[in-house]
Amino acid sequence: MSKVYYDHLIVLDDIEKKIKKIAQTQEEREELWQLVDDIIHHRVLACVLDNLPKDNHKEFLGMFHEAPHSLNLMDYLKERIKENIEELIKQEIGGLASELLKDLQERE
Amino acid sequence: MVKTAAKKKKKNVSSEVLRQRLKLKHLEAKNKFSEKYPDVEKFLKEKGVQLEDVRKHSAKIIGAGAITGTILLTPPGDAQILPAPNEIIEKLKDQGRVEGVDTPQKLLVDTLASVLPNEIRSLTRSEEKFLEQLFQNILGVNARATLEGEHLNTTFGRIGAEQHLRRYPGDVLINHGSGDVLTEGIAPGLGAWGYFAQSKTAFTPDLEETERWYAVVQTLYLPDWNTRQPYLRGWYKYRKVLIVNTDNGNAVVASIADSGPAAWTGKHFGGSPEVMDYLGGPRYKKGPVILFFVDDPENNVPLGPVEYNKLNLPEGALHEI
Repeated sequence: MSKVYYDHLIVLDDIEKKIKKIAQTQEEREELWQLVDDIIHHRVLACVLDNLPKDNHKEFLGMFHEAPHSLNLMDYLKERIKENIEELIKQEIGGLASELLKDLQERE
Repeated sequence: MVKTAAKKKKKNVSSEVLRQRLKLKHLEAKNKFSEKYPDVEKFLKEKGVQLEDVRKHSAKIIGAGAITGTILLTPPGDAQILPAPNEIIEKLKDQGRVEGVDTPQKLLVDTLASVLPNEIRSLTRSEEKFLEQLFQNILGVNARATLEGEHLNTTFGRIGAEQHLRRYPGDVLINHGSGDVLTEGIAPGLGAWGYFAQSKTAFTPDLEETERWYAVVQTLYLPDWNTRQPYLRGWYKYRKVLIVNTDNGNAVVASIADSGPAAWTGKHFGGSPEVMDYLGGPRYKKGPVILFFVDDPENNVPLGPVEYNKLNLPEGALHEI
């Protein structure tokens, strides 16, 4: 499955629908989807590293590289981050969703 | 002065403006990350992976893991050697979980519940082989997870509701039927393979069925999608797939006519309004399914519902078939 360990926390159906409305061709649509995906990866990884103790960064990145889909990664983070990391990721993506929805509309 | 009640509706931007804004946002996220975590970027670069390519990297790893059964790549307990379908069915009967032999749909649902993981994940080859036999035995459909060497990134995932597709220039929603199947509307853009016919006169009943029973799969995330063109594009166009709702056993044969959904929607496949209606009823928008290719070289398997049962399950199923 083409997935990463935090996919289950990210549901941006509204953004997808709006992009579908705006994109003129399939190529455009997929390019826009890919850009959103890339932004998500950077924002989530930054959110994770901001909260994970620095000593664990290297080990975590090694695991992420070997199996980006593995839910063991989330278990690893939960064990080492005091706050609820799933909630933190959801908040990060929630903020991103608001920004994207603004980007999708004409500015006055 | 009387205020007007009408609210000013905000317009969507053009695709070019959106593209520019997203590129800018992408650049900002990337730069911010590089500045804060330069070592991380270096580490990933040394490993030959960029964050932008993480899905393709993931797909390659999962594909390799599914073939070799590498324990590292699947959670403990997920990889299992399954007995033949008839052995599982006999076991379920012994446990009283399947009553009699006149409810193939219940048999299918119970068997799926006993072999599928609780969480959606990619299946191992042995799990897929088991399901191929199960579908052949119960549904009578020769379906394959891997066909002619092609395999989707996942065969077990969530399907979501799609809109109708424009079939020829000038096609409008009202031409697509009546009632609930019109609720989803018609997509503003074309499907991944464009119009089904270049004109209304060239539009055939076969093509009408193709759109009516169409499926969407994530070809865009296939690791070799860009390197094996135009072969893959041709191979996937209108490829028949068997879709089985794992919650209620409803099954439909559909043809692939679009690419998607985006990975960040929590969905892995899409179905036309008719496909979704048959799988779960008029209010069914998303749910877990198995999706396999139909091995049908002589084009004998019709698109549409797989009617293998007289009655549906009382719970969960919304159709009488």
